[in-house]
Amino acid sequence: MLLFLILLPFSGGLLAFVLPKNSLRKILLIGVASIHLAAVLGLWSGGMPDNGSGPVFLGLDVLGKLILTVISILFAAVSVYLWGYLKNERACNRIFTGCLLLLLSSMTLVSVSAHMGLLWVALEATTLMSAPLISFERSPQNTEAAWKYVLICSVGIALALLGTIMLAISSGNFKTVFLNDLLNHASVLTPSWLKLSVIFLLVGYGTKMGLAPMHTWKPDAYAQSPAPIGGLLSGALTACPILAILRVVQICNRADLSSFIEPILMVMGVLSLGVAAVFILRQKDFSRMLAYSSVENMGIIALGLGLGQAAYWPSMFHLINNALTKGFMFMLAGNLYQHYRSRDMGQIQGVYAQNALMGVLLVLGFMSLTAIPPSGTFFSEIMILSAAVQSKHYLIAAMFIVFLSVIFIGMAKGALQMFHHGPASKQESSPMVHPVSSMAPILVLGAIILALGLHVPVFLENVLRSTQTSLGGR
Amino acid sequence: MWLDISLIVIILSGIVLLGSSRIGTIIQLFAFQSLVLSSIPLQVDRAGLNWHVLTIAFGTLIVKVFVMPNFLFWAIRHVRLRREAPTILGYGKTMLLGGILVGMAFYISSKLTLPDRYFSRLFIPAAFSIFAIGLLLLVSRVKAITQVIGYLVMENGIFLFSMLLLDKTPFLIEMGILLDIFVAVLVMSIVINNITEDYEDTNTLNLTTLRD
Repeated sequence: MLLFLILLPFSGGLLAFVLPKNSLRKILLIGVASIHLAAVLGLWSGGMPDNGSGPVFLGLDVLGKLILTVISILFAAVSVYLWGYLKNERACNRIFTGCLLLLLSSMTLVSVSAHMGLLWVALEATTLMSAPLISFERSPQNTEAAWKYVLICSVGIALALLGTIMLAISSGNFKTVFLNDLLNHASVLTPSWLKLSVIFLLVGYGTKMGLAPMHTWKPDAYAQSPAPIGGLLSGALTACPILAILRVVQICNRADLSSFIEPILMVMGVLSLGVAAVFILRQKDFSRMLAYSSVENMGIIALGLGLGQAAYWPSMFHLINNALTKGFMFMLAGNLYQHYRSRDMGQIQGVYAQNALMGVLLVLGFMSLTAIPPSGTFFSEIMILSAAVQSKHYLIAAMFIVFLSVIFIGMAKGALQMFHHGPASKQESSPMVHPVSSMAPILVLGAIILALGLHVPVFLENVLRSTQTSLGGR
Repeated sequence: MWLDISLIVIILSGIVLLGSSRIGTIIQLFAFQSLVLSSIPLQVDRAGLNWHVLTIAFGTLIVKVFVMPNFLFWAIRHVRLRREAPTILGYGKTMLLGGILVGMAFYISSKLTLPDRYFSRLFIPAAFSIFAIGLLLLVSRVKAITQVIGYLVMENGIFLFSMLLLDKTPFLIEMGILLDIFVAVLVMSIVINNITEDYEDTNTLNLTTLRD
């Protein structure tokens, strides 16, 4: 079953390279995405997964399953959205569709790999498969963004490979990095090598996640790629390095090194929040603002993981909400860009006056981004804050509140202006209409975001609690 | 004996790389370093030659000594100006800094618990040194092509490290890593090709349109 999930998009990707027509490739994309989603949702009906205890390459625990589901939902939404979006792009989409499907394949491999080396191989593959997506429109700016993305992420990931090898060296007598072996024998890992390895792994995977100060590729990559791809990158692709970091946290907790890893994660998290706050305040480009919001949310998740046990499941909940919101907002932004022909927030004005539905959706997305109740992000951020206070990290809690407030002000300035002001000229007041394929995925994601904000289903709550046990090892 | 000499040659070639300014020389020096590197798996394997070790040595030889340098030469085929632009630090200081990094690599290695099989006292310091030299090359140069070489030199350091685990690493994973690096260089070469088409040069100081 797991092999099927990897090979389906993989063979689809190869097929996309040989299919002769753009329209056939689009059908293939939606077909593969929906079968993938159906299969992933089907995995949940099989009860709680059991990973066995032997050395296996592929295995699915609750963390991987949760992240795989987020990836699959977002990918399906984006693939439907691309149906209408690609109509406006005349260029041949052979490489684009092929790489997109191979990206899904490698993201699936990340979430099901139970071997730290395989995890690395899959994560590097995600970087390489997403680079052609960023330079799809092929302008000098796109080239610049793709270059920064590939180089910074590859170097970051190279650090993580070194960390993985050190992890294997630390495992002295068995010398393997099968996750099961590492977790079962965590107490005999050599501490000096393990600590060195944790630093390299955190910096390396942190780069791919976009934590400050290794985030510099992020605004360029998200803003230059086609809008729905920005959503896929910031929602689904960032979940992959987060999974890698969750594995590191898992190993550290088992090896009694949580007091070593937690301060590092907290510092990285707060630093990301601070950097995001500074840059969001003076941002004019909508996509770049969303990218800095992604830096912020990665920071919140890292901070949550650094605060220990009590903040684990709020962090996981935050991950889900952030992924859905980012996909939602980038697709919405894609619709707005096609209407206004600009990404400048000063140019995009009077959305509500032109199309009431788009206006309402914009406000919904804004609420979820800035954690105004009723949204899931409000809930998770409050839980993380209370975990910080309860563990007596008062300074961290204070900085958390200050940075979030600054970010709120920065985003409110931009987003509400887009919502409110009247159309600047007569020409722009042409009716804003979007095809069904460009609205349906936004509406579905919006409904899920709203539902999660109002009520967390018992099923999901149980899953989140079991991620906590899985991470904490207790 | 031969192992120690090879390791010293690898470190020295890294230092020379830091002082070179001709792009062609830099690519050839990298190919030379990789050539010596590809002999390491054969030297450290005491259990006699087997297909696993031979494949790794041969795969490294093909990919890093022949294929990658050719890709890189392809990417800059239209570029007439094949010298590195002046760096911030200057070549002399960069080489000096490289020497300091090698010293630090030896110091850090002396603080670590040695794993049970480490072949030679030079082995772990050499791996750290090459890794650090690659990183230094990457951050101190401005041409895209030299930055890729820096990345590949870092990767060579990681390769040396992975030799400590030669008997235990699954073959599949090793091939996966090699494939990833191969594709990475392919993608980077294509992007460099695009950069040279847009700017007629591979100087990354041109890439400044996107900023906050």
